[in-house]
Amino acid sequence: MTIALETRALTKQFGGLTAVDSVDLVIQENAIFSVIGPNGAGKTTFYNCITGFYEPDAGEALFYGKSLVGLTPDQVTYRGISRTYQNIRLFANMSAIENILVGEHACLRASWLEAIIRTPRVIKEEKDALEKARQLLNFVGLNSLGDQLARNLPYGAQRRLEIARALASQPRLLLLDEPTAGMNPHETTDMMHFIRRLRDELSITILLIEHDMRVVMGISEQIAVLDYGAKIAEGTPAEIQRNPRVIEAYLGSGAASGLNDAAKQPA
Amino acid sequence: MPNVKPPARRVTTYKIVQGIIGVVLAGYLIWRLFVVFIANPSYGPDTWARFAIAGLILGSVYALVAIGYTLVYGILRMINFAHGDIMMIGAFGGYFVFEALKSIPTPTLADPELTFLNAHPVLSVIAAFIVGVSIAALSGYFLEKIAYRPLRGAPRLVPLISAIGASIFLENAAQLLFGAQRRDYANPIVLTRGEGWGIPIGGSNVILTYTGVLTVVISTLIMIALYLLVMRTRLGRSMRAVSENKQVAALMGIDVDGVISRTFIISGALAGAAGVMWGIHLGLVYHFVGFIPGIKAFTAAVLGGIGNIPGAMIGGLFLGLVESLGPAGLGINFQLKDVIAFGILVLVLIFRPTGIIGEVLTEEKV
Amino acid sequence: MKKQLRHAVNAGGIFGIITIFLFLIGFTGTAADLFSDLFRNKNAAPFLSLNPQMLNMLIFLGLIGLWAGAYGSRKSKSQTDDPWGAALIGGLTAGLVHGLLVSGLALLVGTLNLRGVRINVYLSELLPDAIKLFLVGKSPLQGATVHIVFLTLTGFLGGLLSRGVGRGSWRVRSGAAWNSILEKISQQSIVKQVRGSRNTRYVVYGILLLLVFLLPLRAGPYWNYTIGTVGIYVLLGLGLNIVVGLAGLLDLGYVAFFAIGAYTMALLTAPQPHHLMWSFWIALPIGVLLAALTGLLLGAPVLRMRGDYLAIVTLGFGEIIRILSKSDALTPFTGGPSGVKAIGFPTLFGKPFNSGVDFVYLIFLAVLLIIFVTNRLQNSRVGRAWEAMREDETVSRAMGINTLTQKLLAFAIGAAFAGLGGALFASRNVFTGPEDHNLMVSINVVAVVIVGGMGNIPGVIAGALMLKGLPEVLRQLEDYRVMVFGALLIVMMLWRPAGMIPSARRKMEVEKDKGVIETPDEGRGK
Repeated sequence: MTIALETRALTKQFGGLTAVDSVDLVIQENAIFSVIGPNGAGKTTFYNCITGFYEPDAGEALFYGKSLVGLTPDQVTYRGISRTYQNIRLFANMSAIENILVGEHACLRASWLEAIIRTPRVIKEEKDALEKARQLLNFVGLNSLGDQLARNLPYGAQRRLEIARALASQPRLLLLDEPTAGMNPHETTDMMHFIRRLRDELSITILLIEHDMRVVMGISEQIAVLDYGAKIAEGTPAEIQRNPRVIEAYLGSGAASGLNDAAKQPA
Repeated sequence: MPNVKPPARRVTTYKIVQGIIGVVLAGYLIWRLFVVFIANPSYGPDTWARFAIAGLILGSVYALVAIGYTLVYGILRMINFAHGDIMMIGAFGGYFVFEALKSIPTPTLADPELTFLNAHPVLSVIAAFIVGVSIAALSGYFLEKIAYRPLRGAPRLVPLISAIGASIFLENAAQLLFGAQRRDYANPIVLTRGEGWGIPIGGSNVILTYTGVLTVVISTLIMIALYLLVMRTRLGRSMRAVSENKQVAALMGIDVDGVISRTFIISGALAGAAGVMWGIHLGLVYHFVGFIPGIKAFTAAVLGGIGNIPGAMIGGLFLGLVESLGPAGLGINFQLKDVIAFGILVLVLIFRPTGIIGEVLTEEKV
Repeated sequence: MKKQLRHAVNAGGIFGIITIFLFLIGFTGTAADLFSDLFRNKNAAPFLSLNPQMLNMLIFLGLIGLWAGAYGSRKSKSQTDDPWGAALIGGLTAGLVHGLLVSGLALLVGTLNLRGVRINVYLSELLPDAIKLFLVGKSPLQGATVHIVFLTLTGFLGGLLSRGVGRGSWRVRSGAAWNSILEKISQQSIVKQVRGSRNTRYVVYGILLLLVFLLPLRAGPYWNYTIGTVGIYVLLGLGLNIVVGLAGLLDLGYVAFFAIGAYTMALLTAPQPHHLMWSFWIALPIGVLLAALTGLLLGAPVLRMRGDYLAIVTLGFGEIIRILSKSDALTPFTGGPSGVKAIGFPTLFGKPFNSGVDFVYLIFLAVLLIIFVTNRLQNSRVGRAWEAMREDETVSRAMGINTLTQKLLAFAIGAAFAGLGGALFASRNVFTGPEDHNLMVSINVVAVVIVGGMGNIPGVIAGALMLKGLPEVLRQLEDYRVMVFGALLIVMMLWRPAGMIPSARRKMEVEKDKGVIETPDEGRGK
């Protein structure tokens, strides 16, 4: 098995606060790996450190053996990592298909000069890009909505569009940040199937931040638990559910029964 | 880039270029300073003292205007482009007070030609300040109310453009109202420009002008008062709270709109005082008088780290000194003094965008 | 009722201040002149002992009075019933307050004038003649009475009219009205067809182009000069549109690049001060490239910073270029304050391009070229990246867009267009000097882009026609032009931040953002 992403003692501090505290993770290729933890546990900061938005203060992040530290976000994208956001961040005033086309930016080559002259290569590239965007739109089930402005799409469709946009850069690793937040149980189930389909059909590795325990336990193969920036547990869903430290971190002391309910408590 | 922290360890071409520019500039500076001071000393200590005094006076005016920029930027994260023009309004206010008082005859036996202005110079200056400061503060208030408040929450470009529009409008309205000619500020005789205490330095007499001393003293007093206002009073506390986080401040029961209004009033008042002092000390008012000091004061605010009040004061003084010592120190043409100021702005942004003292804006908002 | 009254008093106060301001800046007299041209009644017989000039001024004041009355009779928001009487009283009250303020001023100014105070020393427009006109040739007291009666009456009439025409249709929000006009135009079958079919579109564009190309042949030298100037502003506007409209960077020193283009053309082709006398066609690309290069050099440090720093740094840079071109120190190199004369003109196939008509065509060609380039860029990977960057810079970085490179690209392309404009401008005028490159040029161009509509080509063209062309037609208004620009910038931001003819997308973006205090920052480290 190849290792897709590995972090070694990854640390990020803000002033006196250690948001990510020497986290070690190993994510196998083609896995669905979840990172969970209470609010403020440093999950999103962890993502930002991997994707180049933050420079880690210490430690290493390796993507297929090559270090990601010191790369800018756009360089990270070129390496093959793509992400979505906790609160959907689409280009709200561009159409759905344009959003995907922007996502393809890293795969296209046309320079500004070629774009002005519109060389045959650029014309073909644009045609292919549009075709690919349509396919992606179909893949996420938004076939008829391509010309809608992103902000006019229903919530679930926006989530899917954001994933389609992330897929457009042909990533090998996809980072999803709470993809089911704000969804009803039915939509959540759909999204779970969809995530699994992503992995199976496109054979990409998926790293997931999620609060909804049903999703986490349902689709993850491995789970890591962060609390106050530090990793307190790692293992299969079954192991995590039994781990007393995890239960304590989530619930304080008390009922160990309803992890699911706890996760739904307001932020 | 709201949440992007510049990486520390990356060595980029930009850093290298930055280094090269730095070395070249430092080399140039050392060479010029060497030429001017050692190889070919062209000025005696008395001249340097004159430049330094002029710079200090100019700097104290810049500092006042810069604080206005910093206050508004700290609260609204916007450059109040029309701030320099508010200063112009203040200067005109003082000018008209002097003109009016000059036309009131108060004849005495000794001097039948005596006017109110010269009979009661202290009262006259106080009146000029009161009027200049009040109408500038009022303009600040209305400016915010008309041109900025409806745009709160719009994309950043929108209020900025509105501010630029306000600046253009004020300048040209003033030109249409008062004409394009430059007007002499009619100071009371005791404050005649150019007169002052003589200090012997290096064998010649360096004059410490009365107007200059007045300017420095008043601006120092105002700055102390402002610092106390921001740090010690309820209003100051709410201003700082709003600058940290508007929503949370509103939740804490602070009247955010009111605080913003009052910030504009304060910043307008500072600009007005600066305008009156500008008029008294430099002696000329016209519709464009606030433009260049406005940009320079903004430079000063950036120099000190925008959002940082002591920074703006120090930045203002520093800029005034550099501007007045710079051309002589580097031995270049005096026409180019504005180029030095703008050059400093660009250089600060290249080498230390958070200013010399550092910004006090919290990181995630930047 | 009480609310209605308070509203009316406020309205009267606001309009009173506006009227007083217009009088103080001399606009009442200018408007009277404008009306005399319009009605051609300069030599008409006096009416009620008022000469035509005074009548024209009263007509102008009357229009403001009507507006004040109409505004003052507006129903306040909380009011549910809407009786006639209230409206009339509102109009009357607003008119009365308006009249009181104006007549107070008339009385004051008139009295001072009678006493021999030379008011125009302080308020430069208040020459004795202007005051006499304002008092309609009567004594201060009589003049003030005329104003108070006249403005109260027109206020009343305004209230009456605003009722009579029917409130609903009359006072649709102006913005909405404009939108519906645009909508109607675009709904019309011709427009639809033009939009629908490629061929008809090309035909229509062809006819338009043909008209535009025939125009200079019919117009005289003055108009050709004006058309050329408007053309150059279209060119500059399109260039700045890439920077401001597409990439969302506010550049207030755009004139610097214009100056670089102009000076390159001037210094390379003119006999003085360097005696290079190169060909126009060599100097042109050099000017464009130099401008682009300067854009890159200036942009590299500054575009990393917060967006609003850019505005002030570019402003400072524009001033630096002007000061340098003016300074004595550089006179041997730049020609100093007196500028550069006898700049070269182009020759093409042996034919010299030096008449006004020739230059109009040359400018047209440049505009077409830039429209073409802008269009191609806008609909490419690069244009999409710009747009994404403007929408959400952070996310666009995560899409693999190198935002700094893209910003630099936009900045440099915009600068190149300005360089082109500057070079053409200098060559056409045969002269260039420091005062051709003052801050006003930058401000004009920013106004053209913003008033026209950010990010869209027809908007910029319309903006240039309106802001540069219209004042040429209405020459009396020349003095007020810049002030109106300033006011327009504010009004546009308050009323239609997306410009007169916004591109559909831009418009929605701005509207969306209204009312949102601060977008929550995701990804902020806890």
